[in-house]
Amino acid sequence: MTTIESILHDRVLLLDGGMGTQIFNHNPTVDDFGGVAFEGCVELLNERRPEWIRGIHARYFEAGADAVETNTFGCNELVLAEFGLAHRTHDLNVAAAKLAREAASQFSGPRFVIGSLGPGTKLLTLGQADYAAMLKSYRTQVLGLLEGGVDALLIETCQDLGQIKVAVRAAKEAFALVQRRVPLWVQATVETTGTLLVGSEIGSVLSTVEALGVDVLGLNCATGPEEMRQHLSVLSHQSPVPISCLPNAGLPRNEGGKVVYPLGPEAFADQVASAAKDLGLAILGGCCGTGPEHIRALKARIGNLEAPRRQPVLERGAASLYVSVPFAQEPRPLIVGERTNANGSKKFRDLLAKEDWEGLVTIAKEQAKEGAHLLDICTAYVGRDEVRDMDEYLKRLATQVQTPLMLDSTEVPVLERALQRAPGKCVVNSINFEDGEGKARKILDLCKAYGASVVALTIDEKGMAKSVEDKVAIAKRLHALVVGEYGLDPGDLILDPLTFTLGSGDEEFRKSAAATLEAIRRIKAELPGVLTMLGVSNVSFGLSPEPRKILNALMLHHAVEAGLDLAIFNAAKVIPVAKLDAETRTIYDDLIFDRRREGYDPLKAVLERASSGAPGIPQEDVATLTLEQRLQRDIVDGEKRWVIADLEEALAGGDDPLRLINEVLLEGMKTVGERFGRGEMQLPFVLESAEAMKTAIGHLEPLLPKEASARKGRILLATVKGDVHDIGKNLVDIILSNNGFEVKNLGIKQPIDSILKELEAWPADAIGLSGLLVKSTVVMKENLEELERKELKVPVMLGGAALTRDYVEGDCRRAYSGAVLYAEDAFEGLRHMQALVSGDSIALAPPAPVAPAIRVVRRGQAAVDLTAGGKSSWVKDAAPAQPPFWGVRELAPSFDELFGYLDTFVVLRNRWGFSQGALSDAAFAELLRDKAEPELARWRGRFEADGFLKPKALYGHFPCRPDGEELIVFDPDHPDRERLRIPFPRQATGRRLAIPDYFASGGDCLSVQLITLGEGAAEQDRILYGAGDYRDYFLFHGLATELVEAGAEWLHATIRAELGIAGKDLSGRALFAQGYQGSRYSFGYPACPDLEGNATILDLLDGARIGVSLTESFQMDPEFSTSALVAAHPQARYFSA
Amino acid sequence: MSVRVHFILEDLEAEAPEGIGLAEVAEAVGADITFGCRTGSCGTCRIRVSNGLSACSAPDAEERDFLASLDAPNDQRLACRVKLNGDVAIEYLGI
Repeated sequence: MTTIESILHDRVLLLDGGMGTQIFNHNPTVDDFGGVAFEGCVELLNERRPEWIRGIHARYFEAGADAVETNTFGCNELVLAEFGLAHRTHDLNVAAAKLAREAASQFSGPRFVIGSLGPGTKLLTLGQADYAAMLKSYRTQVLGLLEGGVDALLIETCQDLGQIKVAVRAAKEAFALVQRRVPLWVQATVETTGTLLVGSEIGSVLSTVEALGVDVLGLNCATGPEEMRQHLSVLSHQSPVPISCLPNAGLPRNEGGKVVYPLGPEAFADQVASAAKDLGLAILGGCCGTGPEHIRALKARIGNLEAPRRQPVLERGAASLYVSVPFAQEPRPLIVGERTNANGSKKFRDLLAKEDWEGLVTIAKEQAKEGAHLLDICTAYVGRDEVRDMDEYLKRLATQVQTPLMLDSTEVPVLERALQRAPGKCVVNSINFEDGEGKARKILDLCKAYGASVVALTIDEKGMAKSVEDKVAIAKRLHALVVGEYGLDPGDLILDPLTFTLGSGDEEFRKSAAATLEAIRRIKAELPGVLTMLGVSNVSFGLSPEPRKILNALMLHHAVEAGLDLAIFNAAKVIPVAKLDAETRTIYDDLIFDRRREGYDPLKAVLERASSGAPGIPQEDVATLTLEQRLQRDIVDGEKRWVIADLEEALAGGDDPLRLINEVLLEGMKTVGERFGRGEMQLPFVLESAEAMKTAIGHLEPLLPKEASARKGRILLATVKGDVHDIGKNLVDIILSNNGFEVKNLGIKQPIDSILKELEAWPADAIGLSGLLVKSTVVMKENLEELERKELKVPVMLGGAALTRDYVEGDCRRAYSGAVLYAEDAFEGLRHMQALVSGDSIALAPPAPVAPAIRVVRRGQAAVDLTAGGKSSWVKDAAPAQPPFWGVRELAPSFDELFGYLDTFVVLRNRWGFSQGALSDAAFAELLRDKAEPELARWRGRFEADGFLKPKALYGHFPCRPDGEELIVFDPDHPDRERLRIPFPRQATGRRLAIPDYFASGGDCLSVQLITLGEGAAEQDRILYGAGDYRDYFLFHGLATELVEAGAEWLHATIRAELGIAGKDLSGRALFAQGYQGSRYSFGYPACPDLEGNATILDLLDGARIGVSLTESFQMDPEFSTSALVAAHPQARYFSA
Repeated sequence: MSVRVHFILEDLEAEAPEGIGLAEVAEAVGADITFGCRTGSCGTCRIRVSNGLSACSAPDAEERDFLASLDAPNDQRLACRVKLNGDVAIEYLGI
């Protein structure tokens, strides 16, 4: 007999299209529904207008559909109850299934009936429906559909993972009741937001549904075939079951109050058929807006298209309501947070006793933030109702936490309630054989019913396994039950071989850690595909905090080496093993592997070290290092204090200064470069290393023979013409000169002629050009053209914020026949220089990479009109700003005001280069807290004590009026006298904005502002750099740059307050993200890129009053000064002209 | 594999290689998006992902922190931090 499964095995199956629109084409009246109370209950039409429904099915079969869906989308108890018809659920489903069967029987060939189960009108996960009621509602529906003779069930248009789980369970219960099973299909609905209605990503849907053991997973409704593609593509790569696709006829549009679907039959069929072929879809059909003609066209495209042969690879993992987290983490292990556990955390217990649910949720959120991939949830607390506590807690966690959950209880009813409450795919913790297999089976029944992975402990009737043999034997018995008998995938079985404390010294447990590690190794080897987990911190119970940290860290390290996949531990507390010194490691390793000898007990050694206060973490024992290692460590750690003493010791021992530089110290700098490159070392620490290097070289230089220079090569460095930014160039200078290169730093605003003149006098191996501004990238290319014209061949290295590798290795390289090299950071510059002097030709002429193929597919004509007055129609008219005075005033901000407006986020992460790099979220938070923030406090203290920072500000309000692309500014004392005009560019497309649009055509207020930190700040910058205090120079420069921004933000706030538009101001970072009305535009930025505007501002405010003037390239002098003009209009925001 | 990017504001559609940064695409085709710091800390390039949120690379801790500080809904991202693994439609919000 041809079954639906056998068809799916052979060819693509074609379903029908939309039902609702077909029904409403009959224009049903109140009579058709049987009364006003039932109006809109289309399920009733199965009984009252059977000929309509049968006819719709028949038209789909006639169009070529292999199967039709019953008219039972809302035919469950909960939905019918809204019409008072819950008691009719069973009969209406039987009737609907029979109608479809009758229609099918009129057509030749295999034709099938699919029972449709819609999502209902309530979201379980959001607490709108009761679990038991929803379960019964679907069970009744499924029983009716089965009785009516459906060939498969389709749980469709799913918006909520919780609802999918209930419906699947209801179907399985119904199968068991009638002793008949039909294929069970699930289709989710991904909204235009890219997730299900409640926020689930497709990965989370896949993990959750796959674990339920359904036969088909697909998508329907919400969007058209094109929009579905990316989500179908995820399923195509990963779904172990066939994929269905029933899209709408495109994205619905509202046209004059009527919903219109844009795709006609042909376009729809083209898109669906091409998706089917590209992505290996097995079942096709349509949803809203599609009718028999769509299906006919689709049948014509696919004919008897062969069933797809995909090779899916499922990333097995756990899922929350929102996201899926693979068990296989890279790097291992997956971290299970242990603090949401009443057994493990006192704080958790206390909050639970107070029923402070929000506090409990906060603990969960904190753990997620600290890097936990899964949260172990346990609410077992003596004297409390564990079921209720679990229910209350999960009700909140389900929607408030992104991290998937591990449900931890020994009680079956607790686990069952938890599995009903938690929406995604959970991990159940745990089963064992302590009381035989009975309880384990009950829990495994739940895992199967609710689709969960399971943790299994190596405990049997005899107790906890301690020997390797016992652990492995019980693991195999667990595997036989879970995988062999219950049919869970091995990748959903997580074996925990247990670990015991080494802290007690109990003879019984001396070898337990080594046994655990060996058991992990053997389980991974002998039970392929299973996962292992360990509660690592058990190993150190009874020890004091510091030895606990070290022992936990090393045990984790060895367990991961043995193959551990998941670890329960507090991610915030783990210390890197690499930081432990050799002696500490040896003693603790001896403890773990029980390497006792006559007269040596590692446990005793551990306890003695702890009580003697020996610094186990993370200091190194200097005595164990060789002199060379010590010198290198001095450089890597930036130890200016020790490096001279260590060098003296080396020289006294007869070491050659040149060899010390080239073979010892520079090796240390190489390590620094590598660590920086891997994101393990932050820029301020790199600069400390450079300072130590400078100190060392300064000490050795007088001892070098004159002819045998330690210098490896020479480079001329300059910031290009028109650009005053030199921090990047100076970093390159620091790194190169402290790596043995001779650097001549020509400074800022260097025309190419001056650079070339210098080159004649001081022949160098390369020229390095730097600049921050976008226009500097153009200047660099012009400079290269000039070099080409002069027929020079000297290699040129380019670096700067606005440059891209493509631009340098493409456009710039074409402009010049000498070598043109891009340096993303100072260390890439160093690598280029090393390659250049060693004559490494590969680095000199790498082929320009193929430009990525970015192309415009379609450039729409979307540009707003200009008004008759010549401004963008996107900008609405607004009332003019009302300043309290016309003219200019002077102010001086206090340090409190400046630091109050300082964006510390940008200072620490952007200016100071504390970036996350390879660090975990937790380690990065610690770095910010322990290193970066204290540094900021230190600088503020210095500013207040030293007094070289003297911030001053000018601002003013001027009458103005827009005139097309110009702003006319009038004299404050004579408002009808035109003082000057400021020209601005206008966007060519899109919103077609220009700054004058933000000013009222009948006259408005232009506010302008100027702030400087004063000449003292610029002077300080030069002093620090000149003195070789690289770290401080770098930190000061970054902080000062942001302080002037803070000052501008403060001044802007002052202006907004005066203009009466400050009411909507936000605080904190929202402020820096322009969370207020009005906008501050600085010349040189995208809305007004022309720096010449600075001259206008200085003219209006008389900038000389506070010592600010302009350079010939229209940049502010002194450095750390900034100006802006302010538009008060509510729509005024940054844009690019 | 290539991806499609629809810049809704000016109805501009572009095609680019999978895995590319959204900023690179936006600049190459001249989309109406302003970029500031390009490190995820100024918010100048904030966008709404109207379609294809799951095709965007996941936000790192810094971007998450930043957006959380603005109480931005889940469908908002910083264009400078997004790499594209599939088709997206985006709308520029700015700050």
